[in-house]
Amino acid sequence: MKKSIVCLLVIALFVTIFGAAGAEDSDGKITVWAWDPSFNIAIMKEAAARYEAINPDIKIDIVEMAKADVEQKLNTVLAAKTTEGLPEIVLIEDYNAQKYLQYYPGSFADLTTKFNYNDFAAYKVGVMTLDGKVYGVPFDSGVVGFFYRSDILAEAGFKAEDLKNITWDQFIEIGKTVKEKTGKYMLGFQNTDGGIMRIMMQSAGKWYFDEEGKPALIGNQALVEAFELYKKIVDSGIAKPTNNWNEWVGTINTGESASVTSGVWIVGSIKAAKDQSGLWDVAPVPRLSTVDSKNASNLGGSSWYILDKSADKDAAIDFMQKIYAGDKDFYQTILINNGAVGTYLPAATGEAYSTPDEFFGGRAIYEDLSAWMKEIPPVDYGIYTYEADAAIMAQMEAVCAGTMTIDDAIKAAEAQLENQIQ
Amino acid sequence: MKRNIRVSRVFLYLFLIIVSFICVFPFYWMIVGSTNTPIQIIAGKMTFGSHFVENFHTLFNNYDMLRILMNSLKISGISVILILLIGGMAGYGFQMYKSNLKEKLYGFFLLTMMVPFATLMIPLFKIITKLNLLDTHFAVIIVSAVSAFMIFFFRQSFINYPTEILEAARVDGAGEFRIFFNIFVPSMKSTFAAAAIYSFITSWNSYLWPLIVLQSNEKKTTTLLISMMSSSYTPEYGVIMLAIVVATLPTIIIFFAFQKQFVQGMLGSVKQ
Repeated sequence: MKKSIVCLLVIALFVTIFGAAGAEDSDGKITVWAWDPSFNIAIMKEAAARYEAINPDIKIDIVEMAKADVEQKLNTVLAAKTTEGLPEIVLIEDYNAQKYLQYYPGSFADLTTKFNYNDFAAYKVGVMTLDGKVYGVPFDSGVVGFFYRSDILAEAGFKAEDLKNITWDQFIEIGKTVKEKTGKYMLGFQNTDGGIMRIMMQSAGKWYFDEEGKPALIGNQALVEAFELYKKIVDSGIAKPTNNWNEWVGTINTGESASVTSGVWIVGSIKAAKDQSGLWDVAPVPRLSTVDSKNASNLGGSSWYILDKSADKDAAIDFMQKIYAGDKDFYQTILINNGAVGTYLPAATGEAYSTPDEFFGGRAIYEDLSAWMKEIPPVDYGIYTYEADAAIMAQMEAVCAGTMTIDDAIKAAEAQLENQIQ
Repeated sequence: MKRNIRVSRVFLYLFLIIVSFICVFPFYWMIVGSTNTPIQIIAGKMTFGSHFVENFHTLFNNYDMLRILMNSLKISGISVILILLIGGMAGYGFQMYKSNLKEKLYGFFLLTMMVPFATLMIPLFKIITKLNLLDTHFAVIIVSAVSAFMIFFFRQSFINYPTEILEAARVDGAGEFRIFFNIFVPSMKSTFAAAAIYSFITSWNSYLWPLIVLQSNEKKTTTLLISMMSSSYTPEYGVIMLAIVVATLPTIIIFFAFQKQFVQGMLGSVKQ
């Protein structure tokens, strides 16, 4: 009996000692959860410094984590339904945004009246809208560019004009010529990665789901053409097969492939190969040819969300209004320092956007890219983008090998997706 | 006959060389990688480069590596001491004392090993928030301090201990705590050393729970730092490799320091 009393006393002691030390002081502190030290976090630090200069009473604390870790933590805190341990602001990837908005209703602050959303790229606002209410602050764009090595393409006889506003079929034909005349691959390509497919789908304003969020793979002509293109890219031999992200980036850095079609954030990886300076150029992303499709698309990107029950919600909103929806100079700085293309349209006319980039042969690539950004067709990503991606890519190997027809593959993928999300 | 032995020897060595190569290769690559730039690593460069100093500067200037290392050492160190103390005593108690409920309670403890951590996570998080322990190292330590597996491990290795020694000590008038600390623990040194290594590595590598409860950058552990660094549009692989080297060092040092005891501990401490 005596022992258990001692035990209880010891526990009580511990709790008081550590409890007092652990109590979080939430006054005047905006906590932000984000990932990517050289991009999102560096940018948020810049924003924080600017805001703290205007409003010295507020301290902005940026917690650096991995992307998967932000998601894991957010899920745990929201599922536990506690208000302690909530950050004020959290970064969420666009493809996953609807999942959080729909799974945890009431957790994110309704910002519909707080920002003028006409100032942001339309496709980006759609991502964070649920039942007519807007819940986020649009951040970086994943506007897609067809980045290519102008020297290799010139050697194969192509000028910049020949590469503008082409279709994917033309892209493949150009690739064949490049392979024939220079021996270089047109692109590094992982045929089980859904990136290019998502680029193709969004350029047609289509996605894997219908308006009610139900899988809409069967009868989706954009998807059929994307499937065909994947097979053609593999069959034509213009692609260097890669197995992962590193190998894929490696094909650009080592000069093995002549182009990469990806989100604007890839520019950081392209520029990492300093010896290739001046040899790059960019054109609009190729479009689909059997459906109504634009030479503009998106891959990736993320946005900021404010937690409704966090202690300093109002300060956080003010911070986002002043910097992310007001400070044009901020957007120039992050473009120069981090290569970040914001989706705040008034900033896209700034000086940094029109500065010629020597790496890209003196082209002001960001001016072009932000012009294409406005053209990106808005798409509702729904809540199961990655699940749909996985279901489709599971069939890709068989389609590329020719052992399965595209119709069968799409049927199988839809069945798998239906199974998975029920 | 002799020839046969020689031939089989050759194959044995060949086999061992291949296996050790497979084991050592990731370490080799990790060390080589820490001296190269991201592009060289992506291109598959397998030889030492000249960017070690650069990576070193980035790691210690851009990231709070030293503090994070100390955080990990603190959490792991205190966890190990608590695990040895609590687990050792519990294992001793389960093995040496007689009680009717003992086996049932022991079985209940073992059952808890079957509950996956993912199901405990949210309730545990709620408890920790209620106790106001969020964002403290204590929250990480307290959860790992009691481990059913370690109790099981200790009890198993205590089975062969000759109880006569304990009875003799009791007859001589030693108290129960004195018997445990002055007689039992010293003679089971290698078991405790093995447990220390095992629990240190587990605690050093723990990831999910620290991720959930630690909130601020200053409280981070090495695993969280490495994971954060790799999540990037353009990861700095050289710096990440160096961070992994730094994070691996303590485990390697501890393992080599206790290696002899570790092997003995696995074999059993006291032989009759």
